[in-house]
Amino acid sequence: MFDATNFQPLLARRYTLEVRQQMAWYWQALVIALALLVGLLISAAILVVAGVPAGELLNEFVILTLFDAQSLRAVLFQAAPLIMVGLAGCVAFRARFWNLGLEGQMIWGAIGATAISLFEIGPPSMRLPLMLLSAVVCGLIWALAPVLLKLHLKVNEIISTLMLNYIALNFLLHLVYGDWKDPRDNFPYSPQYRVFERLPDVFDGLSLAIVLATLVAFLVLWFTNVSRAGLYLRFVDNSPGVARAVGVPVNRVILGTVLLSGALAGLAGFMITAGQEGRLTHSFYVGYGFSGILIAFLARNQPIAATVVALLVATLFVAGRSLQVFYQIPFSMVQLIQAILVICVASSEFFIRHRIRRIQGGQS
Amino acid sequence: MSNKNAIQLDAVSKSFDGFKALSEASFTARWGEVHALLGENGAGKSSLMNIAAGLYAPETGSLFIDDNLVRLKGPLDASTQGIGMVHQHFKLVKPFSVAENILLGLRNDQALSFRQRLQQTAEEIKTTAARLGFTIDPFARVDQLSVAEQQRVEILKVLLAGARILILDEPTAVLTDAEAENLLTTVQNFAHQEGAAVILVTHKMNDVMRYADEVTVMRTGRTVASLKPQSVTVGELVKLTVGDAPTPPQVPASRAAGEVKLEVSELCSTNPNAPILRGVNLSLHAGEIYGIAGVGGNGQSELAGALMGLPEPVSGSMQLVGEGDLRDLSASRRRELGIACIPADRYSAALAAPLSISDNFAMGEIHSGRYGPFWFLRRRRIEADTAAAVSEFDVQGVRSLQQKAALLSGGNAQKLVIAREFSRQPQLVIVHSPSRGLDVRATLAVHQRLRSARDAGAAVLLISEDLDEVMALADRIGVMSAGRIIGEFAQPADRQAIGQAMVNHV
Amino acid sequence: MSLIASWIGNIPDFAVPFALAALGLIIIERSGVLALGAEGLMLVGAMSGIGASLMTDGSTVAALIMAMIAAAVVSQLFALMVLIMRINQVIAGLALVFFCQGLTGLCGTLMNWTSRPVSGLSDLSLWPLSELPVLGKLFIQDPVVYLTPIIFLLVVLVLNRTVLGLRLRAVGENPQAADAAGIPVLAYRCAAIAAGSALIGLAGAYISVLSTKMWLADMVGGRGWIAVALVIFARWSPWKALAGAVLFGCIEALIPQMAASGIRLPQYFVFMTPYAVTLGVMIWVAVASRDNSSQPGALGEPFIREERR
Repeated sequence: MFDATNFQPLLARRYTLEVRQQMAWYWQALVIALALLVGLLISAAILVVAGVPAGELLNEFVILTLFDAQSLRAVLFQAAPLIMVGLAGCVAFRARFWNLGLEGQMIWGAIGATAISLFEIGPPSMRLPLMLLSAVVCGLIWALAPVLLKLHLKVNEIISTLMLNYIALNFLLHLVYGDWKDPRDNFPYSPQYRVFERLPDVFDGLSLAIVLATLVAFLVLWFTNVSRAGLYLRFVDNSPGVARAVGVPVNRVILGTVLLSGALAGLAGFMITAGQEGRLTHSFYVGYGFSGILIAFLARNQPIAATVVALLVATLFVAGRSLQVFYQIPFSMVQLIQAILVICVASSEFFIRHRIRRIQGGQS
Repeated sequence: MSNKNAIQLDAVSKSFDGFKALSEASFTARWGEVHALLGENGAGKSSLMNIAAGLYAPETGSLFIDDNLVRLKGPLDASTQGIGMVHQHFKLVKPFSVAENILLGLRNDQALSFRQRLQQTAEEIKTTAARLGFTIDPFARVDQLSVAEQQRVEILKVLLAGARILILDEPTAVLTDAEAENLLTTVQNFAHQEGAAVILVTHKMNDVMRYADEVTVMRTGRTVASLKPQSVTVGELVKLTVGDAPTPPQVPASRAAGEVKLEVSELCSTNPNAPILRGVNLSLHAGEIYGIAGVGGNGQSELAGALMGLPEPVSGSMQLVGEGDLRDLSASRRRELGIACIPADRYSAALAAPLSISDNFAMGEIHSGRYGPFWFLRRRRIEADTAAAVSEFDVQGVRSLQQKAALLSGGNAQKLVIAREFSRQPQLVIVHSPSRGLDVRATLAVHQRLRSARDAGAAVLLISEDLDEVMALADRIGVMSAGRIIGEFAQPADRQAIGQAMVNHV
Repeated sequence: MSLIASWIGNIPDFAVPFALAALGLIIIERSGVLALGAEGLMLVGAMSGIGASLMTDGSTVAALIMAMIAAAVVSQLFALMVLIMRINQVIAGLALVFFCQGLTGLCGTLMNWTSRPVSGLSDLSLWPLSELPVLGKLFIQDPVVYLTPIIFLLVVLVLNRTVLGLRLRAVGENPQAADAAGIPVLAYRCAAIAAGSALIGLAGAYISVLSTKMWLADMVGGRGWIAVALVIFARWSPWKALAGAVLFGCIEALIPQMAASGIRLPQYFVFMTPYAVTLGVMIWVAVASRDNSSQPGALGEPFIREERR
C-alpha cells in the first residue's frame, strides 16, 4: 500500500463549511460593524449615482446631523417614535410572532389619541395622559385579533397583520378625508391639537417624547431581562417545544407579549401625532413599520441596543429629509438604505454561524 | 469468492466544529462478503460510511475502489462508482410513489416520455424485487408503506442505480426480528451469490455473529480491529466495542413495592388518522420500576408524551392516586407533587439548547416562587441552586453556568435534566429511553439515579426500546405492541419469552 | 344589465396579476423555498415594465419581457440570501420586499417615470364568443389574459408530467433525498426562484403596463401579499390558485363598478374589501382544513449537507 498523502495535487485543496457553536462577542461585533460599513458604502455609492456630490454626503450625514445642536435635537425628536416601534418589534419577535402590523397599530394608536382630543374627553389637565392611555389601548386591541387567530387557528400572522394594516390605513383615510377633516382648510388632516394636548418640551427643546421613550425602553428591558416573563420568553423564543414541555404557559406568554408590542406601536402613533405633527395626518406612519422591524433585527431583539439603533435610524431619517429638500432624492432612499443594511447584516450572520476551512488534501 | 478489495478507506479523518468524529480510520471490504462495521452510538460508523457514499468530504485520507484511487465530489459520483447507501433515516420522498422515488435517482437519456420511463422503471422494480425474493407495488405511495417495505424501496433504489457496493446503516434497528432476519438473508445472498460487497453498519452483536463474514470494530472515531466474527466470542467483541468500561450489572435489586401510585386505563389516541394507542392499561406502584419494552414505534413515544403532559390527543384516564387525572394538573402542581419527566429527546422536550444551563435549571422551581415573584427573578439564588445541583449530579463540562446547554455532551445534558427533575424528592418518575446516545459510564450513572429514586419510594415508569436496559432496571416488565400492553412479566423474567412477545403479537 | 356585463368584462383585468403572481409563488415554494417577496418583485416588474415601455417608445412586448427579466435578476439577490447565506427565509423575504419598495420608489422618481402614460396592448376579441350576451366582454381582452391559462397549463404539465417537475418537487419535499439521488438541490431552487420571479414580475407589469397604463410608487398595494395568502388557500395547487385569483378578481372588479352604479358606500370601506376578504379566506382555510399534507415537506428549511448537530 502506498502513501497517498505524498501524491497530493495542488488542486485537491478544497474548502468546507462548518457550523460554529460560539464566537466571541467582540468578533461578532467586528463582523457586524464591517457589514454595516459595507452597507453604508453601497448606499453612499447609490446616492452618488443619484446625483449627490460625494463631498456633500459626508457633510450632510455626519457633520450637519451630529455636530449641529439644531439637527441633534431633530434627531432626538425623531428617535422617540422609532424607539417605540423598535421595542415593539423586539418583544413581538421574541415571542416568535412576525408582527408586521406595527403601522396598523400605530394608526390605531393615533386615532385613539385624536378621538380623545376631538371629543374633548376629560379635563385639560388629564387630557394628555388620557390620550396616551387611549393610544395604548387602541394599539393593543388592533394586535389582539392576529395573535388570537395565530394561537387558536394557526393563521399566518404575517398575512393577517399586513391585511389589518391596509384595513387600518383605509379607515384612517376615511376619517381624515371625511368626518374628522379640519373644517378650516382642505387638507387631509384632523384639526390641530390644543396646546395642552401636545407633548411639551422638558428643557431646551428636548421633547418629553424622548424622555418617555427612554423610560419605556427601561421598562421593556425589565420585562425581558429581569422578570419571570422574560425567562419564559427566552424559552418560547429559542425552543417553543421545550417551553411547553417544561411548563411555560406558552400561549399566555405569546398573547401578553404581542399585546405589549401592539401597545408600544400605539404609543409610537401617539408620540408622532402629539409630539411631531400635532394632529392626525393621512401619512404620518409611512416608513415606521419597516423601521421597527429593521431596528429589532439589527438590535437582535435587545431593548437597549434597539434604543441605540433607533437613534441611528433617526439620523438617517433626518438626513433623508434634507436630501429630499436639497437634492430631490425621494424618501424611498431611506427605506432602500435600511433594506441594504438589513441584507448586509443578515448576510454577516453567515460568517458568525459558519467557519470556512480549507481541507488539507481532500480525498485524493 | 474472488475476495479482491471492493472498497478501501485509508486513514480518514473528519471533524465537526472541533469535535473529531473520525481520526485516521481505515476500512477495507472485499467483493462477495458481508462486512459488518460494529461500534457504539457515536463511534463514527455513520460518518465513515457517509464519506464512502460521498456525502461528507474527508479532511485527510484516501478512498480506493477496486484498488483505484478515487475522489468523490458528491453522492452522484459515489453512485457512478457503484456505491449505494441505505441510510438509517430513509431518504425517500414521502408523497411520491415507489417508481417515482426510484426514477429520481436514475440517469437514462433514452428518448422516452415521462410516462414510458415510469412504466419502464416499474418493470425493473418488479424484476429486481423478484430476484431478491420479495414483491412490491411500484405505484404505491411511499408514505403508505410499512417501515420494512420502505427499506426495501431504498435497497431497490440503490441497486437499480447500479450499486455493487451496498452500505446499510443500522438496517435492523427499526425492524422486528422476523423482518430483520429476512432482510439480512436477502443481502447475504446478494453478496454471496452475486458477488457484491455488502457493508452492514450496526451495533447489534447478534447480526454480526450470524450474518457477517468479516467485522471491523470502531471506537471513538478509530477503527480498532478487523477480524472474522467466527474467530472470536461475543464477549470479546463486546470488549472491543466498549473498551475497558465496566459492563452493566444484570438484575436490579428487588424490594417490596408499595401501594398503587398511577393507574392508566384504556388510554387511546383520539386522532382518527393515527390511532397509535389502542387501550393502554397499567398500574404503577410506589417503590418499583415498571419497564415497558417493545419494538420502537408501537406507541411508546405517544404514551410517554401523554404521561409527561405534552399535547397528545388521548382519551381514557391517567389517574394519579389521590390527585385526579394527570392531564388536569398544571405544570406547577405537577412539580409540587414531585412528578419528574425525562423525555427521550432531550433537546426537543427538556432542554432549550441555546439557553444557559442556569436558565434551563431554573424551570424546575420557577412555578413555586422560590426564584422570586412574577415580576422579579432572583438570579443569585438560581445560580446557587444550579451550581449545587451541577456538582451533586456530577454534570461535567460546565465551564460557566451561563454557557449554552447545547455545549454539554449527551450524557451531561441528561444529567442536567435529571438534576432539575430530581431537585425535589421525586414521587413519580416517567422516563423514556434515558440512555439513548449515552456512553456506558453515563448510562450507569443515570441507571443508578433511577434505582435510588425507586429505593427512596418513588414510582418509576421506564419506557425503553432497549431491552437490555429494561432487563437491567425493571422490577416488572410490560411488553408494548400495536398500542397496547400485551403481556406482563415479573423479574426474574425470561428474556427469550419477552423477545417473543415483542415480535409475535400483531 | 350592462353594469353586470362590464363587471364581468373587468374581472380578467384584476384576476390576471393575482393568478400569475400566485403561480410564480407556487413554482418557488414547490422547490421548498418560502417566498414572501412577491409584493416587492411585482413592484420591480411594474416599474421596469413602464420604464422599458417609455424607453422603447411603447413596445409593450419588450416591456413585459424586460419586466420578467428585471424581476428574475432582482430575485437572485433573494436566492443569494436564502440559498448561499442561509438567512432565515422570512427575514430574507421581508428584506427583499423593503429593498424593492425602496429601489422602485427611488428609480421611479429619479428616472421621472411616475404618472407618465403608456399605450398598453389593444384588446383581441375572440369571435364568435365575444358576441355572447352578458359574457361577451370576457372574450374581448388583451392577449396576456388569453395567455394566462396557457401558462398555467404549461406549468402544471412541467410540474406533474416531466422528470424536471418530479425533481423540482422532490427538492421541495425532501432535499436530502433529492441530494442523495444526485439532484443539485441549490441549482434547482435557484432556477425555481428565477422562473417563479419572472412570472411574478409579469404580474406586476400587467398591473402597470396593461391595467393602469402608468407607474405610481407602491402601486401594487398589497396584491403581492394577497397572492401569498392565495397560495396557502390553494394548498399549492395551480388550478385552485387560478380559481382563487378569479374570486379576488371578481371582488376587485366590483369596486369601480360600485362607484359607477351610484351606490353610496363610504369609498374607503369599499377599498378595504380585498384585504378583509383575504383575512376571511385565511380564517376559513384555517377552520376548514387543518391538515398540512399538501404543503411542500421542506418549505422554509434551508438545505444543508455538510453539517451536523
